[in-house]
Amino acid sequence: MPTFVDMTRCDGCGECVDICPSDIMHIDPVYRRSYNIEPNMCWECYSCVKYCPQQAIDVRGYADFAPLGHKVRVLREPEKGAVSWKIKFRDGREKNFLSPIRTTPWGSIKGPAEYDPPRDADLATQELAHEPDALKIEGGLPALRPDQLKRGLI
Amino acid sequence: MGTNPFAAVTEFWSPLAMKVYIVLMIAAVIIGVIFDVSHKGSGIYFAERRKRSRALARNPLSSGKAFALAIETLAEAAVSGEFDKTPRRLSHLLTMYGFLLNVITTLLMVFVYPTATATPRVVPMLWMLGAVMVLAGGLWFFLFLRANVAVDGDSPWHLGRADLFIGSLLASMAFALVWHFAQARYPGTVGAYILFGLYMFFMTLLFVTVPWSKFAHVFFKPAVAYQRRVEEATGASDLPSPSTQNFIVRS
Repeated sequence: MPTFVDMTRCDGCGECVDICPSDIMHIDPVYRRSYNIEPNMCWECYSCVKYCPQQAIDVRGYADFAPLGHKVRVLREPEKGAVSWKIKFRDGREKNFLSPIRTTPWGSIKGPAEYDPPRDADLATQELAHEPDALKIEGGLPALRPDQLKRGLI
Repeated sequence: MGTNPFAAVTEFWSPLAMKVYIVLMIAAVIIGVIFDVSHKGSGIYFAERRKRSRALARNPLSSGKAFALAIETLAEAAVSGEFDKTPRRLSHLLTMYGFLLNVITTLLMVFVYPTATATPRVVPMLWMLGAVMVLAGGLWFFLFLRANVAVDGDSPWHLGRADLFIGSLLASMAFALVWHFAQARYPGTVGAYILFGLYMFFMTLLFVTVPWSKFAHVFFKPAVAYQRRVEEATGASDLPSPSTQNFIVRS
């Protein structure tokens, strides 16, 4: 079910244009509101639906095989680390879901460029860049010692 | 610079003509909004939405609560609380209050103090301040915050129909300041009158193009925001209820 935009809610901030991995959310040149330029190419990742600060984006099926009348509405609350969903079916049933999305405050995760560059010696370790500090795991990542591995593998 | 700019052009443009012009512009905005609402069908859409939300209402709304929601909506609109990002909000506030200041002082200078000597110095100064605020907020938005420019890759100088409102607003305020400066420095010259003409042209463009520009959002955005609050209060909103749990447990 591709996305569509409620023009009365959209304020043209462009967040959906920025986040869309398919680059199909664009700004209407007449009304400066966002719209899906190519619903057939929508991955239905719901990134824009969840991210829209005005809850202006809904999803709907292709009208040629899915009669309209349903609704998928999303409320993102970054201050609570939650995304709530209200799914309304065409027969009137309604289902509500609450999804935790993170446990740390919004905006608190450092980007890769904010860390020190990796050292050459780090290439010899099995840890990825900035591990284990970035993962905030005290004492380092849990790893098997060679004597704990199956015989014959090393 | 602290003189009434409209009193300085009375030989060219009489006070009565200015008063009639302002009344015509107010009428143009009212007619434009009505045309916009009926032409796009947004009036019918809004009425159907109200009807649907009344049918879905679970909690009745008292008149006191409705009044409180209207006050909350106005309070939110007064601080542009609907905007998620601080730059957009600040630029909108500068533009909105600058425009209001400019319009109110224009009305004062035309209807209350039509002569230069009677006009308190503070009124034209506030008129200029309003124009400067519109230019600051409007240019910030126009050059850096317009979604098609900031996110969609268009040039900062890109112009389209969506820019009719902000473009005519910026041009009218810019020519207001330039004309006022020219009028104070070179009074009664052809150049000053041409600048006055350009100011009037862009002001007219701003007010008569309401059906094709974004001017109407000044009125329908608060109306939709109020309706949304009513739907949330009556339980008719299609949005999920806010989460009762907080999942942020780490810093």
